[in-house]
Amino acid sequence: MLRLIAVGLLIVGLALGLLTGWGVPLGETLFRYDPALLNTAQAGIQRYASPALWDDGVLPLLERPSWVLPAGSGALLLMLRGLLLSPRRR
Amino acid sequence: MLLRKNPGWTIAERQATPETLFFGRRAALAAAGLAGTGVALPTRRAGAVDLPTAMRNPRYRPERALTAEREATTYNNYYEFGSHKTISAAAQRLPQRPWTLRVEGLVERPGEFALDDLLRRVPVEERVYRHRCVEAWAMVVPWSGFQLSELMKLAAPLGSAKYVRFETAAVPSAMPGLRQSWYPWPYVEGCTIQEAANELSFMVVGAYGKPLPPQNGGPVRIHFPWKYGFKSGKSLARVVLTDQRPKSFWEQIQPQEYGFWANVNPAVPHPRWSQASERLLGTEERVPTQLFNGYGEFVSGLYEGVQGERLWF
Repeated sequence: MLRLIAVGLLIVGLALGLLTGWGVPLGETLFRYDPALLNTAQAGIQRYASPALWDDGVLPLLERPSWVLPAGSGALLLMLRGLLLSPRRR
Repeated sequence: MLLRKNPGWTIAERQATPETLFFGRRAALAAAGLAGTGVALPTRRAGAVDLPTAMRNPRYRPERALTAEREATTYNNYYEFGSHKTISAAAQRLPQRPWTLRVEGLVERPGEFALDDLLRRVPVEERVYRHRCVEAWAMVVPWSGFQLSELMKLAAPLGSAKYVRFETAAVPSAMPGLRQSWYPWPYVEGCTIQEAANELSFMVVGAYGKPLPPQNGGPVRIHFPWKYGFKSGKSLARVVLTDQRPKSFWEQIQPQEYGFWANVNPAVPHPRWSQASERLLGTEERVPTQLFNGYGEFVSGLYEGVQGERLWF
């Protein structure tokens, strides 16, 4: 199951890179998809959680190329799976 | 429980004489030679950015108590600094001088004005205006500034100019919001040439008798008191006369919620909340919202005969 999710995320990352361009920020991709989405999310996070959570947590992710977050998460999950299923743990 | 007993001499902050009137009176006394005792009367605070003495224009009565300065200057919307209300500290990074305002487009005399030079060429006065945010809160502020029509006179619009486009400064080193490169910066707002000529349209350079703080749009902003606050662009860098209706920042992002006209109307709700009443900053009292924010006598004529437009978004 973990491997399926990881491979799915890698495919999403690849597709985003091919479709939107390898250097296009995730924020721009989401903005193109729904111009109001990020504004609503930012207002919610900054007003009801913490301004810093947006500025220092979410915004750096949105500034990265679109493919980085899904592909990076997929790669991380594959590594995690590898660790969990390593011979020492069997 | 804390029991606070005020001594008999205390008064509410809203009852205090506005600083601008206090200093204005001193300036008048000094000019008339009535100070007379050999004691120098300061006309403004040492170290302050230049703000000409502004006498209050009594024509515009807010019919409400002034909002406490601390409330008005610490609860702000300024998207370039964040989407929350506590941006006042971050906004201090925006340099206020030197500041130039470019006026161009369909005008006879385009130009770039150093703000302090501009303030020597226009009559500066104080007006107490109600300010109504689209988010259903409101405040009453003594603004110092000059009528937008004075700036128009200097630039002399051509007959072909139909709209005025206001652009906020975009200063990436000071404004963290500009990191969101997907938004259509700079912040743009606009009005018709008729709205710009209306006597209420006011270029603001001060508040509470002091230079306008950056979180409120300093050093210079526009204020249309009959419209929702987002129409009144802050920290203006450029004013363009044009024959094309400007597409505003919010119109590009959420056109179903924020339009070009955005006149205050309690009977037309925002898609996500009612506009029937408003919360007064400071007292938290809820009061009924008025059509055109109560300025109908000045502006309703602007919209007679305007057909097929969403005047209230």
